[in-house]
Amino acid sequence: MSIIELEDVWKVYDAGGERVEALRGIDFAVEPGEFVAVMGPSGSGKSTMLNVIGLLDSPTEGTVRIDGRDVTDLTDEEMTVERKRSIGFVFQSFYLIPSLSALENVELPTLFDHDHDSRGRAVDLLERVGLGDRLEHRPDQLSGGQKQRVAIARALVNGPRLLLADEPTGNLDRATGKEILEEFQLFKEEDDVAIVAVTHDPQVSRFVDRTVNLIDGRMESEGAWADA
Amino acid sequence: MRRADGGERRRPGKSEPPSGPLTRLYHAVPAVLMARRNLSRNRIRSALAALGIVIGVLAIASLGIFGTTLRAGTAAQLGDIGNEISVTPNQQAGVRNLTDRDVADIRRVAEGVVVPVESDTVTIERGRTRSIVAAYGIENPAALYEATDGRVPDRLRRGVLVGSAIGDRFDLVAGNTIAIDGRTYRVTAVLQEQSGITLLNPNNAVVVPPGAIPGDTYSQVVVRAATGAAANRSAESIRETLNRREDRVTVFELGTITQSINEVFGIINTFLIGVGSISLVVAGVSILNVMLMSTIERRQEIGVLRAVGVHRQQVMRMILAEAGLLGVIGGVIGSLLAIAVGMGLNQYVLQDPLATFSPTNLLYIVLAVGFALLTSLLSGLYPAWKAANEPPVEALRK
Repeated sequence: MSIIELEDVWKVYDAGGERVEALRGIDFAVEPGEFVAVMGPSGSGKSTMLNVIGLLDSPTEGTVRIDGRDVTDLTDEEMTVERKRSIGFVFQSFYLIPSLSALENVELPTLFDHDHDSRGRAVDLLERVGLGDRLEHRPDQLSGGQKQRVAIARALVNGPRLLLADEPTGNLDRATGKEILEEFQLFKEEDDVAIVAVTHDPQVSRFVDRTVNLIDGRMESEGAWADA
Repeated sequence: MRRADGGERRRPGKSEPPSGPLTRLYHAVPAVLMARRNLSRNRIRSALAALGIVIGVLAIASLGIFGTTLRAGTAAQLGDIGNEISVTPNQQAGVRNLTDRDVADIRRVAEGVVVPVESDTVTIERGRTRSIVAAYGIENPAALYEATDGRVPDRLRRGVLVGSAIGDRFDLVAGNTIAIDGRTYRVTAVLQEQSGITLLNPNNAVVVPPGAIPGDTYSQVVVRAATGAAANRSAESIRETLNRREDRVTVFELGTITQSINEVFGIINTFLIGVGSISLVVAGVSILNVMLMSTIERRQEIGVLRAVGVHRQQVMRMILAEAGLLGVIGGVIGSLLAIAVGMGLNQYVLQDPLATFSPTNLLYIVLAVGFALLTSLLSGLYPAWKAANEPPVEALRK
């Protein structure tokens, strides 16, 4: 069964009296352990699609399913619970909390629970991304690549089966970007985590199982998409 | 020692138990940990916001303490006059004087020493100096007065006691003689100068044996009780007994004066504390401002928190904890300063710095800190609500 499934999803905004169709009938599904790249020019609706998949935004029309369950019309409360359980996020600008250590940043999603195992899981994850010796470092003491590794560990601390990455290599140089993508691949293979990455970075396609192209809110035929 | 078998066992691999009270607090209330970290990000700004609270709490608490000290100081000045009552004939009802029977009634019901007083106006003369002064005929003046020179007898049979002002003017010491209405008396004692409020001020008067004043009725009866409460009870009983049929006497309690003085101080105090509260409200506005700014700056972070599954209420709690922490820090520092100010004040006015720790003052401090906390939380409410309800998609938009 697909981890996540979008069925004929539309997202329509009303931007200053003008109707903007960000997503126009998207059908999309990701299988467990699959690494999918979503590519497309700016304004093609990539981020909107990621927000809908990540339960940060609800579609105007259509159906979203997680593990076959319809999650289209959840309340904010239910979406929050579902995000925490099923989905991890990695952002272009890392979005680590500067006042917290690497370890505390990884523990952040569990901070408000009385989850006594989270510390152990967070340490494990940081060791797996090669930061076992930097647990107490603050984000400003870490390089860009290290910050993104902390962000990946944070995304995985609740053991989600789906990892969503918004331009994960966008703020990194090419070599560091490659390392991050290798990190993704590792978790995909070892933990069977499905990954959806929205990106402009052409080197991403070398690591993914498939690439979908989004143009003007529509899914184009699968395959390599080249920047015009 | 017996171990409960089959009970819950700790799972292995658990993280080590938290150590230290602060760690335990953070563990129990993670919002406090986040709040503390967030506040220490911009220390100066947080310090300034807390400073407002410090000033507010200091204003309320120290003004409260100031009022208490003022009251205590005044009470000390007034002395034990709260123990005295005065019974006078009710002139409006046509009663001119109090009789022996009235005095007997008073003696029967009053708790304390009863001093009947006959009054007259006399001419006193010594050498070339003469003067017209008040004369009090009192049989037992020792109950009311003390002497600076000579001794005040328990029973005044012969001789005369002179007030301090008369003593000065006529240059008298105990043993001198003085002519009162043409009769010669020996001065038994010069009385201590009475400052403050007294019922029967002797400074410009002479006290003579009751027999020296014609007639055998009294112009007033002073009752000196052991305590203010006893004086109050005596006043009640005297009213009941002597005024049963008609309002024969007026009973005047000095205690009521102290009471009204206390009331006035109470009003002044409330006013001062009200002024202090305004500064706390201003402090609240500054917290509102600071919290609003810092939540706007942290918009994306809060968006991330929401994205990774932190609930709205948890975000709200976190920001309220920040505001509350500012209030607690400001409140603690403010009350410590207020205690310091109070101790200085009490040392100066009452020579007793520990008077600061009276229940009333502690109440003021608790009140000030409570008000500070309330103000801070109220000020944090809007920023917290705003941050918690921002859709994460908006917050994370690039």
